Amino acid sequence: MGDRFDVIVIGAGPAGSSAAYNLAKKGFRVALIERGRKPGSKNMFGGRVYAKPLEEAFDGLGKAPIHRWVVKERLSIVNKEEYVTVEYTGRGRKSFTTYLTDLTDWMAGRAVDAGATLITEVVVDRLLMRDGRVAGIVSGDDELEADVVVDAEGVNRLVLERSGLVERLTLRHVALGVKEVIKVDKGDIEKFFGLGEDEGLAWVFMGSVSDGLPGGGFFYTNRDSLSLGLVIYLEGAVQGMRRHIYDMVEELRIGPLFSRYVENGRIMEYSAHMIPADPRAIRPPRLVWDGLIVTGDAAGLLINMGYTYRGVDTAAYSGMLAAKAIEEADGDYSASRLKRYEEMLRNSYVGRDLEKFRGVHDLYMNPRLFNEYPALLTGLLRRLYEFDYEGYKFSKAFSEARRGLVSLPRIFLDLLEVYRKL
Amino acid sequence: MGLDIIVGIKYVPNTTNVNIDPKTGTLVREGVPSVVNPHDLVAVELALRLRDRYGGSVTAISMAPPHAVAGLEHVLGMGVDRAILVSDRVFAGADTLATSYVLAKTIEKIGRYDLIVMGQETIDSSTGHIGAQVASWLDLPYVYYAIDVEYTGDGFIVTRELEDRVERYRLAKPALISAKMYSLEPRQVTLRDKLRAVIERPIETWSNKDLGLDPNCVGLRGSPTIVSKVEFTPKVPRKNIIFEGDLREAVRKLVQALVEEGVI
Repeated sequence: MGDRFDVIVIGAGPAGSSAAYNLAKKGFRVALIERGRKPGSKNMFGGRVYAKPLEEAFDGLGKAPIHRWVVKERLSIVNKEEYVTVEYTGRGRKSFTTYLTDLTDWMAGRAVDAGATLITEVVVDRLLMRDGRVAGIVSGDDELEADVVVDAEGVNRLVLERSGLVERLTLRHVALGVKEVIKVDKGDIEKFFGLGEDEGLAWVFMGSVSDGLPGGGFFYTNRDSLSLGLVIYLEGAVQGMRRHIYDMVEELRIGPLFSRYVENGRIMEYSAHMIPADPRAIRPPRLVWDGLIVTGDAAGLLINMGYTYRGVDTAAYSGMLAAKAIEEADGDYSASRLKRYEEMLRNSYVGRDLEKFRGVHDLYMNPRLFNEYPALLTGLLRRLYEFDYEGYKFSKAFSEARRGLVSLPRIFLDLLEVYRKL
Repeated sequence: MGLDIIVGIKYVPNTTNVNIDPKTGTLVREGVPSVVNPHDLVAVELALRLRDRYGGSVTAISMAPPHAVAGLEHVLGMGVDRAILVSDRVFAGADTLATSYVLAKTIEKIGRYDLIVMGQETIDSSTGHIGAQVASWLDLPYVYYAIDVEYTGDGFIVTRELEDRVERYRLAKPALISAKMYSLEPRQVTLRDKLRAVIERPIETWSNKDLGLDPNCVGLRGSPTIVSKVEFTPKVPRKNIIFEGDLREAVRKLVQALVEEGVI
C-alpha cells in the first residue's frame, strides 16, 4: 500500500482516540483503526466518567455529550428485600454520566478533526513483525506499516495474544458486566432522585444482588434513561453461579430497589462486556516493546476503588501519555526509549491509584462481604428500627444479628483488612 | 473485455432494532444506526465477483441524504471502485417511481455501463419495485432472483432461481438484474479497500444541478403513491399451556387442544 503512516493506533476507544488526537495535533500521520461500524459501537461501561483527566487529554470537553453531572452518590448493601444505603450529596461536578458510544464518537471525532485518519470496520488480526520489532499491523491479506504502533484494543487483547506478547485471558483476569439502559421520562428521573436539570446520581450496590458471588451492581441516571447493571467476577462464578446473569439483572430491575423507578420505562438497550478484574493479573508483563505501546484496558488500567470504578478516564490519560512518549522518542521507537511511557504512567495518578487500590480485588474475593456482612448489617438495623413496643439495645441487637453468621475476631480481622486495602 | 457494472444501494435504518410509533405508524428512527440494505450487499457481492472474473469496474450509486456516505464507504471498503451519492432536497419524499426516475437518469448520465445490479428488495419497505422500474425507464432487459451471471461479450446468460426450478436467460447488453436475497455471502471490508475509500475518497455527490430534472417529476411532487393508513397485525394472546407428564398423553392432549382451537 502506498500510504505510509507514522503511527497506527489499534482501536478507536477512549485510549486509542486520545493517543490519535494527541499525536495528530503534533503533526504525526496517524491511522486510527476500529473494528466497529463506528467508534464506540463495540465498547461498554457502567455509566460515569471522571472529567478532569479527559479534559486534559482532549484539551477541554467542548461539545462532549455530557448527560448529567454526578452530585449524588449512593452505596447500598443489599440482603434480599432489605438494604442499607449510604447517600452522599455534595457539590459534585467531578464526574458525569453519558452514553459511552456517543462519548467515544466525540473522542474519535476530536482525533479526526486534528488530522488522524479513521478507518472503521477493519479488524486488526496481529502485529506485523520485522527483525524482531513491531513494524505495523496485519489485517486479513493486507499489511500496513508504521514507525510505531499504539495498542488500544481493549480488554479482549487478541492482537497482543496472537502476537505472543501476553498470556491468554483466563477467568482470573476478567469479570462479566451486563447492563440494561431503560428509557424513563426526564422529569421523572429528576423527581425520583431530587436532581436538578443536569444533575445525576451514581449508585453502587453489593450483597445478595450478585447471589452472594464476588461482584456488585451499578445504577446511573442519564439524561432521559437509567443504566442498571451487574458485574460478576468470573473466577468465583464458575462454580457458584446458579443461574444466568441476565436473570439476575432482570430480578434486580423488578425487585424492591429499582422497580418503582423503571416501571414506566422501556428497555432500550441490553449489553454485555468483559471487564478487567484483577489489574495485577491482566497487566501485560510490560507495556512497551520495540515499536509498540500498550494503553487502556489492554494494559489493565481499570481501577476498582471498591465504591466506584474508573476506566474511561485512565484509558484516555494513558493514550495521552503514549502520545507524549512517542513525541519525546524523537524517531527512535525502541523499547528502551519508549520506556518513558511506563515511567510517566507509573508516576501519574493512574499508576498511583492502581497501586493504592491494588488490594481491592482481594477484598472482593472474600465471600463474607457479599453474604454474611449484608445479612449482619440489615439484621442489626432491622432490630434497631423495627419494633412494636420494646426496642433493642445496640449491643444486644448486634450480637443477635451476628449469631451464626460470623465471629467477633473474624469481623475484627475483616475490618482491619478493609481498612488497610481501601 | 472488461465489464462496467453499476450497483444500486440503499442506506436504511437497521430494522432489526426499529420500533414503530403506534400513533403515527412511522418508523422511530431516533438513535437507530443505519446500515446498507443487506439485500443490496448481495448485489454488491455479485457485481464484485463479476468484475473479479471478467475485469472492469463497479460503480455504486445511491439516492439518499448526505449521511448515506457512510454506506457508500462501506461498499467501497468491500472493493467497489467508485461511488456516486445522488443527493438533493428536491429528491426528498420520493416513492419508488420518483426514486427509480432519478436513478435511471443518474445511470444515463454515467453513460458507459454493461450491467446494472440491484438488490431484490429493501428491508425497510420491501417493494422490490426499483429494479423493474429502472429497467423500464432505461428500456433494458430485466431478470430478477438472479443468482449467477455469465458474460458472453455481447450479452449475458443469467441464471435465476425460483422455488421449484432454475431458469437461464440470454440477455443482450446492457441489462439489469436483481440479485436474489441470501444467494451470496457478502464479503468483509478489507483494510486495503477501506483505506483507499478513506484516503482517496472516490465518492462524488451529484445534486439536481448535475441531473437537471423537472422538480415535478422527482421527490414528493413526483410521487403518485400515498400511504393512506398503516395497520398493525393484532397481537395474538398466548395461552401458555404446558402439557406435562407422560409423553403420549401430553401429545394427545396437545393435539386435542389444537383441534378445539380450530388450528388443525
